[in-house]
Amino acid sequence: MRRYVLSRLGQVILTLLIYITLVYFLLQAMPGDITQMYLANPKVPQAAREELRKQLGLDQGVVMQYLTYVKNFFRGELGVSFSHYPRPVWDILMERLPRTFVLFLTAHVLSFYVGYVMGRVIAWRRGRVVDYAATVVGITFWTAFYPLLALVLIWIFAYTLRLLPLNQFIEPKLWQGAPFSANTVFGYMVYGGGAVAIGLFLIFYAFLRGLKRTRRNVALAWLSGSVLVAVALLAASRAGLLVYIWDIVNHMVLPVCTLTLISFAGTMLLMRDSMLETVQEDYVMAAHAKGLPDTIVRDRYAARTAILPTVTSLVLSLASSMSGGLVTETMFSWPGLGQVLFHSALANDYPLATGALAFTGVFLLIAHFVADILYAVLDPRIAYTGQPAAEG
Amino acid sequence: MRGLSQNWAVFRESRIGMLGLIVILLFGVFGALWPIMINTVWDPLIYHPVVGFDPMLLHPSPPTKAHLLGTDPIGRDILAQLMFSTGREFLLGVLSALITVVIGTVIGTVAAYYGGFTDTFFMRVADIMMLFPFIPLLVVVGSMVRLTFFPFAIILGVLGGFGGITIILKAQALSVKVRPYIDAARVAGGSSFHIIRAHIIPNVLPLSFLYMMFNVTGAILSEATLSFFGVLNIDMSWGMMIHTAEAAGYLFDFGKYWWLWLPSGLAITLFCAAFYMVGRGLDEVVNPRLRKR
Amino acid sequence: MDPLLKLDDFTMHYRTKAGWVQAVDGVTLSLARGQALGLVGESGCGKTSIAMSVMKLLPYNSKVVRGRILFEGRDIYSMTDGEVRKMRWKGVAMIFQAAMNSLNPVYRVGNQIVEAIVTHEPETSEEEAWARVRSLFELVGIPKERMYHYPHEYSGGMKQRAVIAMALACNPKMIIADEPTTALDVIVQDKILREMDQIRRKINMSMIYISHDVSVIAEVSDVVAVMYAGKLVELGQADDVFKRPRHPYTYALMRAYPSILGEKHELATIPGEPPNLLDPPSGCRFHPRCDRASAECSKADPMWREICPGHYCTCHNPVEIGGTWVGQVRSGKAADGGDQLGTSSNS
Repeated sequence: MRRYVLSRLGQVILTLLIYITLVYFLLQAMPGDITQMYLANPKVPQAAREELRKQLGLDQGVVMQYLTYVKNFFRGELGVSFSHYPRPVWDILMERLPRTFVLFLTAHVLSFYVGYVMGRVIAWRRGRVVDYAATVVGITFWTAFYPLLALVLIWIFAYTLRLLPLNQFIEPKLWQGAPFSANTVFGYMVYGGGAVAIGLFLIFYAFLRGLKRTRRNVALAWLSGSVLVAVALLAASRAGLLVYIWDIVNHMVLPVCTLTLISFAGTMLLMRDSMLETVQEDYVMAAHAKGLPDTIVRDRYAARTAILPTVTSLVLSLASSMSGGLVTETMFSWPGLGQVLFHSALANDYPLATGALAFTGVFLLIAHFVADILYAVLDPRIAYTGQPAAEG
Repeated sequence: MRGLSQNWAVFRESRIGMLGLIVILLFGVFGALWPIMINTVWDPLIYHPVVGFDPMLLHPSPPTKAHLLGTDPIGRDILAQLMFSTGREFLLGVLSALITVVIGTVIGTVAAYYGGFTDTFFMRVADIMMLFPFIPLLVVVGSMVRLTFFPFAIILGVLGGFGGITIILKAQALSVKVRPYIDAARVAGGSSFHIIRAHIIPNVLPLSFLYMMFNVTGAILSEATLSFFGVLNIDMSWGMMIHTAEAAGYLFDFGKYWWLWLPSGLAITLFCAAFYMVGRGLDEVVNPRLRKR
Repeated sequence: MDPLLKLDDFTMHYRTKAGWVQAVDGVTLSLARGQALGLVGESGCGKTSIAMSVMKLLPYNSKVVRGRILFEGRDIYSMTDGEVRKMRWKGVAMIFQAAMNSLNPVYRVGNQIVEAIVTHEPETSEEEAWARVRSLFELVGIPKERMYHYPHEYSGGMKQRAVIAMALACNPKMIIADEPTTALDVIVQDKILREMDQIRRKINMSMIYISHDVSVIAEVSDVVAVMYAGKLVELGQADDVFKRPRHPYTYALMRAYPSILGEKHELATIPGEPPNLLDPPSGCRFHPRCDRASAECSKADPMWREICPGHYCTCHNPVEIGGTWVGQVRSGKAADGGDQLGTSSNS
């Protein structure tokens, strides 16, 4: 397992280098050389230009320029944004990254879970009405024109029904005179929420792992889980954070739901196809023969092994779902990486745009790495051979 | 390899696939109506999708007898735009998907046949391509050089061609390569080129064709998204129609100006869903394991 | 005493696009407690279909046309799902044709056995279940630390033993072993078969061995049933059937296998191919391939009749020559002669 993780890590770092190189040369090849634009932009004062020229190594050859660029990238010196002058690109991206991370993670976990559960059900009930209905509805959402779907949902839930707040990250009125900055609260929210999530996972794992799923254990798990959540909420409200956290969460609901709606079908259909294969496996037949209850055969045998190819393609589709994330952030004015990328690109803020593009790649690579590890945990055959075992 | 008619028989059993095929055919008819309409019924001055203008109405005008789906903020007929764009979407989707699939098939079969360095190289390239966030990249690139229709279709096709599809098609080609008749052909003195062309590619093609369907969906959606964000230089497309409405600020009052976004939005979704469904129908032809026993 | 399992004119068809496949047709047989039945026949003759019918694991396109299967006197096709689940593994366990693939690749082998035990005996704690797995592994001869391993870490023979251990986990009343050793090499195959037979006799369990391999069946069965094209053609004590086969098909099948210990004889092939069960031949289904066929054979379906006591056969012109030793009959049997009649005294 350790060797597997290390070799994966090596691959990720290598890919990152190639990616950064590609981004660099791609932008070099653009008409109106990026460095020229840097120097020609009227927003950048004269004094800063000399500094920039030096920092970018413009007085040296192409190879040196490239090396300087790579060196700067790994030191976090991505230059200064034009549109947010004089904020360094690094600062802006560091502020935005956690927001993208939270949105991306929540939506993906949710959509994977929904897709997994539904795929499991429709594969088990293949050829019934629910199979056709879920497939057609799923494909429709999957291929829906995303920006428009976002607009329609905003229009329905925020504009017409007024159930959820319109766009953005926070409600400015509420935050006037707030004793915290939005970023501080968001930080608490991420760490606190992360801790609670890990706690819940550990509780459920301890009580319900494998064969322990008795009625008493289920009750105990739910009980201690609720206690944990209650304690966390109480702590937040004592610190006066609760109302602000609630505001942020409220603003998250619509983008997360939209992202889930548009992407669950991918997992669902894959899960269905993959499970149609596993239900024909001998061990599923054997599980039936063992007299195990139907749901256990479905979940622990057919679905549990069918999940593996689904995770693989989840990994493969990370990049395209990142694109979905960009659209989401733009449509919902969620100030994350994607929105920065889009706005800076339209505002010809090249340092910020390249920085955001490079960071998107870094983000993706990390997600890719995590998914690879997850895959090895799910399939004991992987770490053993280093390769997914051939089925059958 | 089974014959065409047998494959058709299997495909016909897939309700999802047939549904998709019917929708595509309807779109085909709809798009084919465009040249007829503009040459006979419609006055090009009024109904031209890009430069037409109807001086008789205030714009955007809700549906009327003259403009069955209303007009856009600058006085162009929505129905005419929709019809005109249909053909272009077919062209864009099929062209870029074709490029993707041709590149993917060639690389996949060559990598599988020769193995070694060629194989490793292209597979690593595909790994990296799969990590590339294309839409953000194209947003950045598009904001620098406004891409026009054909360059955009070609870029989309080429970028896709080196990506994940090569891995899938290579796996398929590998499974063909180990079959005995390939050895037989080699022993019989067939050249590498001949074996790849005559034996491996025909066996990979059904899968290529299947992925072509999915790629059409991807290409159209990419075009619509980028058009919507205004980073493409395409005169008219379904995405552009929504972009026009959005840029003019009409999408804030959604319900009132429904004709500005609903027809084009529906067209994108239906069109893409149809290709996707045909892809799933083909999946049941290509992968017997998905079929009902 | 009631037989443990009884098939009564059991007839089951599969629906396909081309029509109904008559996979099992009018099979009647019974199995006493502690008895080992060998079911033999060419591939596609309906052996596995019978096994699946007994487990009530038939695919959705199957249909029981006629007859019943009684387990401990109860018709399994009128049981509720819950009752069927209880019957499975506790009543009838099964060793599948591809035993290699009947282990879930993502769970430890021990876990999969514990799961079966805990499901059927909720009063057993997980610790007790693990202890039982340990003793089962000892019984089938796998080092016990292996129970914490995953199936892919096992060798083929070991997987086979693990599957046998799993079948024994709930002390079932009978086990159906569908080609239990086909995937193994001959040495391992023989060893496993003997071990299984020993365990079976130790705990007085019933067993149905299914195989196309006459030598496998000969080695371990008390009673032998021969199937051809979905029909039972011959049934009797193993010695009787193998020493004095009465049905021409059984006779031909014996001749097609070499006998290591027996007399030398030329290996005979059976001409022609098994019939298409979509449209089986009229009369006796074997008549197109039979060298003893008469005019009657293509017209009338031969009756199921007792040719000599305890030996049944469906043939218009049964083989008459007696005493031809054609198969290798259970080498261990001579040593403990009492077992030979065990079945009759049991039932």
